[in-house]
Amino acid sequence: MTNKSMNKKVSPLLFAFTASMILLATPASAKTGEEIYNVSCAGCHATGVLEAPKVGTKQDWEKREAQGFQTLVKHAISGLNNMPAKGGNPSIKNEEIIAAVTHMLVKSGFSQYDKPSDATQTAAAAPAVAKPEPAKAAPAAKPAKAKPKKTKKRAVNRFNRLMKSSSEWNLPPMKDGIHDPENDGTEVLQAPRDAFDALPKASSGNRVDWVAALQEGAIEPRYDLHDPDVAPVVMDLNIVREVKGSMPNVVYPHKQHTEWLDCSNCHPAIFIPQKGANQISMASILLGQKCGVCHGKVAFPVSECRKCHSQTKQAKR
Amino acid sequence: MTRYLRALVLILPSLILFAPPSQAEYGDIVINNYSSEAGMRPAIFPHWFHRIRFRCKVCHADLGFKFQAGGNDITMLKIIDGEYCGACHNGEIAWSVESCGLCHSAKPDTKTQVHESTISKLLTGKKK
Repeated sequence: MTNKSMNKKVSPLLFAFTASMILLATPASAKTGEEIYNVSCAGCHATGVLEAPKVGTKQDWEKREAQGFQTLVKHAISGLNNMPAKGGNPSIKNEEIIAAVTHMLVKSGFSQYDKPSDATQTAAAAPAVAKPEPAKAAPAAKPAKAKPKKTKKRAVNRFNRLMKSSSEWNLPPMKDGIHDPENDGTEVLQAPRDAFDALPKASSGNRVDWVAALQEGAIEPRYDLHDPDVAPVVMDLNIVREVKGSMPNVVYPHKQHTEWLDCSNCHPAIFIPQKGANQISMASILLGQKCGVCHGKVAFPVSECRKCHSQTKQAKR
Repeated sequence: MTRYLRALVLILPSLILFAPPSQAEYGDIVINNYSSEAGMRPAIFPHWFHRIRFRCKVCHADLGFKFQAGGNDITMLKIIDGEYCGACHNGEIAWSVESCGLCHSAKPDTKTQVHESTISKLLTGKKK
């Protein structure tokens, strides 16, 4: 009883927060730590890639556990080094992260986290209780026992198996595969993520929306080598290219291009400045010609179809 | 010709799918025109870092860099004379040529390439 009253004194806010989280979470039925782990954590933590502490290997976790449970949860929520915030899935709720961290600790041999005793555990266990499905009143420990095999299956059969997960984007030079970690200079080089954190995001390429970054003033790249005050010569002229089939027509905006480039970069070597004079096909673009001189190399890649094919056709003809 | 292109369009996406995932940043250029012969690590030019500071036009129009990886005959002598990279990497705008390892930082014998580019993924697929 004394313990309880102490808890009440120490963390009324935490309780209020937890309670409201549970209330909020109940309709969406919060997932258990194991479910979250299987979907969002196992990719790295089951195998130990990218220096992730491996579930089941206690020594991987000892130092981290020693920093305290709250620190572990904090790092899982906001990210640290290779660990992306919430494992790269912002839709995971904080309490689910707590549950997933607890699950991983239990599976790695920290049995003290197995009992729903302290305040953090209440938060972790509560959603499971609040869920209507496990009405059998099976304690959290039981279903957790038989599942490590299933974990492996889920990791193998996960969605987008061949695609890079968000933890593999924007790796620092020491880990990016082309920089030599043995080289003295490599460690000094800036990590892309440090620079990109403040920039608007995109879903491909550098995962940065460079055009938006420029428009919003998030970056201020010079137009002149020496003078930071020289303004670009911007030309605001859209060129519409009608394309075959059902694809929307291409709208080529001179504006966004002249923000970055000089006329001479494209005209006349790549594009003859005359309407109808340029043969452009997706095949040639994929092979690095025409638009593909930049798009698919440094500018956003061709997988962003709709960024160019943006003018829906009228239902005529 | 068009038939060939059509076939390519059909084949290319599948090649993209099966290319092994590469790691480094989109638009990183590895330049190995002379480095390996000279016993140096190839140089890596990170587009992302430079485009935060300069618009494309500064290097590609004013300094004369062609839009082609390895297509510019860059030598250390030219850099020291203020051409190409040397226009900035002179100790004034950016660090100078003494910091060899900051550019020459690729794994030894990495080939000239636009890293993560669509075309490099297609070619990797072909070799398979």
